[in-house]
Amino acid sequence: MFDPIAYFFANILLLLYDFLGQQTVAAIAVLTLLINLLVLPLTLKQQQSSRKMQEFQPEIEKLQKKYGNDKERLSQEQMKLYKEAGINPMGGCLLLIIQMPIWFGLIGAIRYCIPSGPLELFRFSQHIYKWLPSVVGLVPLQSTFLGMDLGQPPSSAQWWSYSLPILVFATSWLQQKLLTPPTTGDSESQAAMMNRQMQIMMPLMFMFFTLQYATGLSIYFTISSLIRMAQYYFVQRGRDSDKSEGKGKKKS
Amino acid sequence: MNRSWMKRWPMAVVVLAALALSVSGCAGGARPRGWTGLTVVDESVYASDLEQLQVLDTADGRSLWTFPKDPREEQRGTFHITPAVDEEHVIVASYIPSAGLLSQPRHVVWALDRETGNTLWTFEGASGQYVEGGALSGGLFIIGNGDGNVYALDVERGNLKWTFETGHRVWATPLIVSETVYIGSMDRHLYALDLSSGEVQWSFQTKGAFASEPVLRNGTLYIGAFDNSLYAVDAQTGTEQWRFAGENWFWGSPAVYDDAVYAADVKGNIYALDADTGETLWHQSLDTAVRAGIVTAEDGSKLFVGGEDGTLYALDPSDGFTLWMAEAEGQVLSPPVVSGSVIYEALLYGSQRIRALHVDNGREIWAYPPTPEE
Repeated sequence: MFDPIAYFFANILLLLYDFLGQQTVAAIAVLTLLINLLVLPLTLKQQQSSRKMQEFQPEIEKLQKKYGNDKERLSQEQMKLYKEAGINPMGGCLLLIIQMPIWFGLIGAIRYCIPSGPLELFRFSQHIYKWLPSVVGLVPLQSTFLGMDLGQPPSSAQWWSYSLPILVFATSWLQQKLLTPPTTGDSESQAAMMNRQMQIMMPLMFMFFTLQYATGLSIYFTISSLIRMAQYYFVQRGRDSDKSEGKGKKKS
Repeated sequence: MNRSWMKRWPMAVVVLAALALSVSGCAGGARPRGWTGLTVVDESVYASDLEQLQVLDTADGRSLWTFPKDPREEQRGTFHITPAVDEEHVIVASYIPSAGLLSQPRHVVWALDRETGNTLWTFEGASGQYVEGGALSGGLFIIGNGDGNVYALDVERGNLKWTFETGHRVWATPLIVSETVYIGSMDRHLYALDLSSGEVQWSFQTKGAFASEPVLRNGTLYIGAFDNSLYAVDAQTGTEQWRFAGENWFWGSPAVYDDAVYAADVKGNIYALDADTGETLWHQSLDTAVRAGIVTAEDGSKLFVGGEDGTLYALDPSDGFTLWMAEAEGQVLSPPVVSGSVIYEALLYGSQRIRALHVDNGREIWAYPPTPEE
């Protein structure tokens, strides 16, 4: 289903690989950066919506206490509050749904360019863009990185390759923690519990996945998390700077 | 909007994503990891048939023995590579998937008694996938592996005699001539190695990966590469004699007959070239992708090519026109084998996985598994 996206990303990966002196990890890193830039507007919107959701959490809890027995009225009041505050409760879901084909496409691209098996390579041979002359002969990409085979899952023969899924977990967890604003109000509220679950479940899911598949994917997930944390840092710093300038102007 | 759904959607998406990610690769236990291959020696067809090695009578496709006898009881993994056969041994490799999250898959070379199928020895020293078969000569079994190494094993006991490390996956069958092993690697080198020690005699480098067995004629090796080129290389010195630029990757081995070299690229372009100069004699296109190489009839009267569309094509060597086509369900991704007036093919994904056809007209003689009417 995601093969056309995978073929497209694979050809981009080949171009980057050629441009970056045939360095596989660098090519994966740059492709990851480009993809993250592509979805940046959505990412920022989702982060903004998430932040607002947290800010209005006490108001939501007040509504829950007031209309606890009247679900229909509660739902109406909540939607009214979201509308007034400009919150899209499904915003994060939309981002995840859009990112999923991108994930699968990039996973496919890495599998095609650093194949662990011949059938994938043969399939990809029919979809290399011949009008990109510099990519002829590039496949398969150089697959060794720090003694690990990027096209194979972590193995005991290269025991240090298990550090990559752990790194995936750690960076993904940090990213979740950083990008999810702390909940206000009752720390035992459902929202707080949901946040805590997400902060563990997503990183665990990624780690589980990267334990089974090519280590090249661990590189992608790790770099992706680092890029998103860097994005958040620079955007947040810009926002904080704007806020303090605004306060400075008010005082003067 | 329902309150509980709004609170639970992140978990629902996480669970769905986890399921999708798992399913995207986790069905791999039942899926082939490569094409299956076969060889014909004397009156028997030796074929890797995924769950088993099949040994069939060439006359009627009757099963002579299998390994393992019952794959439901003794799981030995999936068998892909073309078996190597000599007077006493059948040597094949299988892939055994990992049993759990932190366990490793196993890549096992099996040496079996040619008469009975009993296991003589096994070798598990390689960490990558075996894609193509090995070759037997001088008491040694030589095989390349996806971990980048070429392994030389003692045929009698399975001891590792030497290992040669290349820079990338070795997915090609070696050609052994006298005391020299010629083998291509995806590190873009064709190597000539001493058979007894594995020392490099010479290496020939190109811009494309090698994934096929070279063919030797009059001291010249012919081999295709993933840089869309077919090369003629001096077998003694490793120097290039000529290079032909095709339109796509050359993956399967070329065929040589008289003074012509015949080669197929993965897009289905078939080329006939002058063996001495590399000049094009003719060029035809099949309407299918071609993974395996070309084989010739024993009298040189026909060329045979298998396609991804499941069709086996017989071509006229003088001009490349199609003489006959034999269609089947599945994909022909490994080279067929000609023995006398019969051609044998292995099919991937088909309900009939091994077929024997008449060389003259492509009429089916038998198929395995046999159809219910038989």
